[in-house]
Amino acid sequence: MIKAIINEIPVEVPEGTTILEAARKVQINIPTLCKHPDLTASAACGLCVVKVRKSRKLLRACCTPIEEGMDILTHDPEIVSTRRTVVELILSNHPDDCLTCGRNNNCELQTVAANFGIRTESFHKFVRDIPKDDSTGSIMLEPSKCIKCGRCVEVCQQIQDVWALSFLQRGFHTRIAPAGDIKLNESPCVKCGQCSAHCPTGAIFEQDDTVKVWRALQDPEKYCVVQIAPAVRVAIGEAFGMAPGVNLTRRLYALLRRLGFDAVFDTNFGADVTIMEEASEFVERFVHKKGKLPLITTCCPSWVDFMEKFHPDMIPHFSSCKSPHEIVGVLSKTYYAKEKKIDPEKIVMVSIMPCTAKKYELTRTDEMFASGYQDVDIAITTRELARMIKQAGLDFAHFPEEDADHILGDYTGAGVIFGATGGVMEAALRTAYFLVTEKNLGKVDFMNVRGLKGVKEASIMIDSTKINVAIAHGLANVEYVINRIREAQKKGEPMPYDFIEVMACPGGCIGGGGQPYGVTDEIRLLRSKGLYQDDQEKSLRCSHDNAFVQKLYNEFLGKPLGKRSHELLHTEYKSRPVYSR
Amino acid sequence: MNKMTVEDLKKIKDGRANGKKNWIRVGYSTCGIAAGADEVFATLTEEIKKQNLDVEIKKCGCIGMCYAEPLVEIQTEGLPRVFYGKVDKDTAAKIVEKHIGGKMLLNDRIYQVKLNS
Amino acid sequence: MDKKVFIKDTSAGAKDQTRDFYTAFIDQLRQRKLENSVQLIRVADIGVYNQGIVVRITPDDFLYGHVEPKDIPRIIDESVVGGKRIDSLVCHHVSKQFRIVLRNCGVIDPENIDDYIAADGYQALAKVLTEMTPEQVLDEMKKSGLRGRGGAGYPTWMKWKMTRQAQADRKFMICNGDEGDPGAYMDRSVLEGDPHSVIEGMMIAGYVIGASLGYFYIRAEYPLAIDRIQKAIDQARERGLLGEKIFGTSFSFDLDIRLGAGAFVCGEETALIASIEGKRGYPRPRPPFPSVKGLWEKPTCINNVETLANISAILLRGGDWFSAIGTDTSKGTKVFAVTGKVKNSGLVEVPMGTTLSEIVMDISGGTASKKRVKAVQTGGPSGGMIPEDFLNTPVSYETLQKLGSIMGSGGMIVMDENDCMVDIAKFYLRFCVDESCGKCAPCRIGGTQMLNMLEKISDGTGVSDDIPRLKRVSAAMQNASLCGLGQTAPNPVLSSLLYFEDEYRAHIVDKKCPACRCGALFRYAIIQDKCVNCGLCFRNCPAGAILGDKQSGYTIDEDKCTKCGRCFEVCRLNAIFRG
Repeated sequence: MIKAIINEIPVEVPEGTTILEAARKVQINIPTLCKHPDLTASAACGLCVVKVRKSRKLLRACCTPIEEGMDILTHDPEIVSTRRTVVELILSNHPDDCLTCGRNNNCELQTVAANFGIRTESFHKFVRDIPKDDSTGSIMLEPSKCIKCGRCVEVCQQIQDVWALSFLQRGFHTRIAPAGDIKLNESPCVKCGQCSAHCPTGAIFEQDDTVKVWRALQDPEKYCVVQIAPAVRVAIGEAFGMAPGVNLTRRLYALLRRLGFDAVFDTNFGADVTIMEEASEFVERFVHKKGKLPLITTCCPSWVDFMEKFHPDMIPHFSSCKSPHEIVGVLSKTYYAKEKKIDPEKIVMVSIMPCTAKKYELTRTDEMFASGYQDVDIAITTRELARMIKQAGLDFAHFPEEDADHILGDYTGAGVIFGATGGVMEAALRTAYFLVTEKNLGKVDFMNVRGLKGVKEASIMIDSTKINVAIAHGLANVEYVINRIREAQKKGEPMPYDFIEVMACPGGCIGGGGQPYGVTDEIRLLRSKGLYQDDQEKSLRCSHDNAFVQKLYNEFLGKPLGKRSHELLHTEYKSRPVYSR
Repeated sequence: MNKMTVEDLKKIKDGRANGKKNWIRVGYSTCGIAAGADEVFATLTEEIKKQNLDVEIKKCGCIGMCYAEPLVEIQTEGLPRVFYGKVDKDTAAKIVEKHIGGKMLLNDRIYQVKLNS
Repeated sequence: MDKKVFIKDTSAGAKDQTRDFYTAFIDQLRQRKLENSVQLIRVADIGVYNQGIVVRITPDDFLYGHVEPKDIPRIIDESVVGGKRIDSLVCHHVSKQFRIVLRNCGVIDPENIDDYIAADGYQALAKVLTEMTPEQVLDEMKKSGLRGRGGAGYPTWMKWKMTRQAQADRKFMICNGDEGDPGAYMDRSVLEGDPHSVIEGMMIAGYVIGASLGYFYIRAEYPLAIDRIQKAIDQARERGLLGEKIFGTSFSFDLDIRLGAGAFVCGEETALIASIEGKRGYPRPRPPFPSVKGLWEKPTCINNVETLANISAILLRGGDWFSAIGTDTSKGTKVFAVTGKVKNSGLVEVPMGTTLSEIVMDISGGTASKKRVKAVQTGGPSGGMIPEDFLNTPVSYETLQKLGSIMGSGGMIVMDENDCMVDIAKFYLRFCVDESCGKCAPCRIGGTQMLNMLEKISDGTGVSDDIPRLKRVSAAMQNASLCGLGQTAPNPVLSSLLYFEDEYRAHIVDKKCPACRCGALFRYAIIQDKCVNCGLCFRNCPAGAILGDKQSGYTIDEDKCTKCGRCFEVCRLNAIFRG
């Protein structure tokens, strides 16, 4: 432990703690626009400067580790005046269109400017007119609003290992763009949206599809159905001032109905179906040796895109099963339409997702049109739904609770944990155990696949057979797992794993790129806790126990991996160029 | 070539101790080359060869008098060591003819006189 | 023995009297029939300035200053013929230059390793490897008091010691040859003129810190330097001076070259490291310092070219020898690249503590225009303007800093009365704005805003508030910029404001540029009373802005005038008004 003094208050912190973190421990907030708890400090904004006795220069609190006996001053007239000038400088290089900006009321720069009480513009306004890039249909780049904090570049390159975004040009002309100044959809971008979730301003933003949803809802000809992903329910409350992790599932059902949806489904139901297919797939490969091991999960469209671009040699390992929301989508336009005698052409399926890549997934391959129509019409993020609720004037905090609509709305505990890293693995293991042993697990909790460790490796016993699994989240963590597979392949050794789960976003979907802003590991843990608690409280915790899933197979699909399942619930992958230009 | 030893260093140094009495150094750094040292060096070499003089000529770095480049330093027996500055092709020829051949210093072109060496 | 007499008029007067004096002198020689035994030479530069007509006689080496034609007979009779010194005429001139760094530049053939060895090359390395422990080398370096010549002046031995102390499986040595200050080129000159001395310095440093690989980081705009370093590396490798078990010891060391793509910021240590690693040349926060976590996260020592060129001399001749040169806190010599309005631009190496005046006036001959020196800019874009009043300041890290400038890498730009301080400050600031990497907001935006204000001031649209605003942004840049580039970029503006605020006010309040440099703030006109309608200005105007003919006279069309000043220069009658 290191002892130091901040503003005459003694602090004791572990070695390596920065001045910024230490100050927070004694209730002092030092402003910053570039430091994000997820990322190493880039030291770009210059707002966090503090004085350290005996140091000639001001030091950046975000990246200066506290040293024994340091005597730190975080606020004095000179420091505040420096910060103020820096804020004014940043504002002089930022558009003034706050009122029409997607981050209005939710912008870190706006907050800092408000806190400093800047009332006049002292400097010449230099705002560069750089065209927007909306080429992905998932993420919108507005470089003119960029303050060059470097968070997006860091998260894209270091956390996600995608390297789609970088800085181009230099000095005052520095701007964010894909290397080579190509469009984002021509770049390696996997649409994970982590850039948008970390951006302090409105420079990177999810493509807003709420207007499409409103239009569908207002169209009397349309039959609008909606589904919510597991991760949404434990995060959307944050946009309304509620604590992270509060489970708002039933309130969301009611809200969505009030917004005008004709039927409210749950992606968790789709997750249960996914497990039926994927666990069966695993058993096929593992027990019956049909197909390659390890089996790799494919619920995450960013991961799929990443793999198709960077690791196409892994395609044979991929589960061909579609992601849960696509399954609910295709079933709504086939099974549900048939049951309810609705013309599937009139059905508009809206997915509420924690994810920006889901927008891309909607038209990813021909199989996304398995119903004969686009299976899911619109995917909006948690942030977009929050805005819709606010526009509709609905009082989220005091809303009554309702249930989802059958036959695509009921879920088990296994379905809901899909939203957290390790959840798909855990859900699949519960059902795989049943499929192999025809017995239900006594204890369904697999604690060693939970948590925020970047790569989790575990061995699980199904009867007397050992299954080796690995879970990676945050795409940069995938490399280790894949390299182990490749190495074993090269050496002709047994595979290190039998089953692998990958989620692109750190923490899994609860940390998705479309979730409410300000995510940290602390918040990720709270959100996952909400999901695991929902699982805990469910009477049914295995996908194969879901009565509506059983009904689905009995009355419509036949059996998992059967002909109809294959037509509707499975997809294909192909190698794609990293750069398409 | 074999690895050098400490003794080899000394040998090389001693071997050079009795170098030629007459030599020319041409400033051949970026400043010199930019000012035309290339042509000056070629002319000097050519003239020396033509007149079959016993003079060693070599390309050196910049002595610092960049304002006077191309700069030619000359050691000729019986004359003080001088630097000719802003040397062009004609001057270079004259240097060989008059300075080296005729042991006469050239008016107006001398930029530094080195003593005690 | 033949006598040679060298003459040169060194006075600041407009007309060079050398020829007249030469004629008078040769007449006197002829009278004595000495014209064939004494050679009289007019020299273009005699190395002494402002001493009137200077006469130097060899081989006696008499140097006479302020010589009058009437002194000629006496000089011939007493000194040339008699070999006696005439004390009353003696000009006390000792060369103020002292060469350590440049000791071999222009003396040896840089492409021939034997030339270097003959000049005591690699002797220091041999001594270090065979007779000294790294600690002993450190001690010697500490004794020498050598400080980094790249600008910041950090003690070299401390840098080495910290890198030596850092624990790691690999360490690296880097030579910073990314010289980028406008007007500074001593590093290029050393790399081109004496590459082996830098290599030897690298190897000794490598031995001390425990590195077996070093990199030269040289900007790609220095092709000749790169070529010569590469040849030198090849030759040293061929001789076994680089490679395994050098001089039969256990020390192995090799070198490689990495090219900088011409980004000024890559001279900053952490940006340089990023650049070598193949990344965008962005600086990163320190700590950790490169001596702890540098190239590829390994302890790395980065020294500037000039610093490294000092090493072998220090170790060969001893730290005490070195520390006897210079001032209390700044030891040894410093190479300055003296440029600008100076008569003799070039490289000058002087002991620390030499005054600016000695460098500019005595060594470099004052201004070429023979006008007053208005200010001397040191330290490049990170430095400041030092006005004439302070030219007697002895040069050292501390004294220059006290004056609001810095030593920097040793660029020294001389300005005369025709230079506008706002214009000069604008030039340097624009350089920093162009070269800002763009990573941190204070530098990226602050620099641009300051430049905008300076542009307005020199356009005549500045307002009084601009001065406090310039100071406010400067303070923010100094306090909150990430690296040295941004922290020091306001220095030229601040120092010019400190010494020449009146000039700023003249631009802002009176809308006048006193030095007549800022085109929007002065005009040219023909003073009709003085004009004789010769038409010289008319013929010389490149913009066709002078109207009229020899009969009706001439006028200047201000709309067309580009303020180039050609008419002002060519008019023999001072009939062009400027102001």
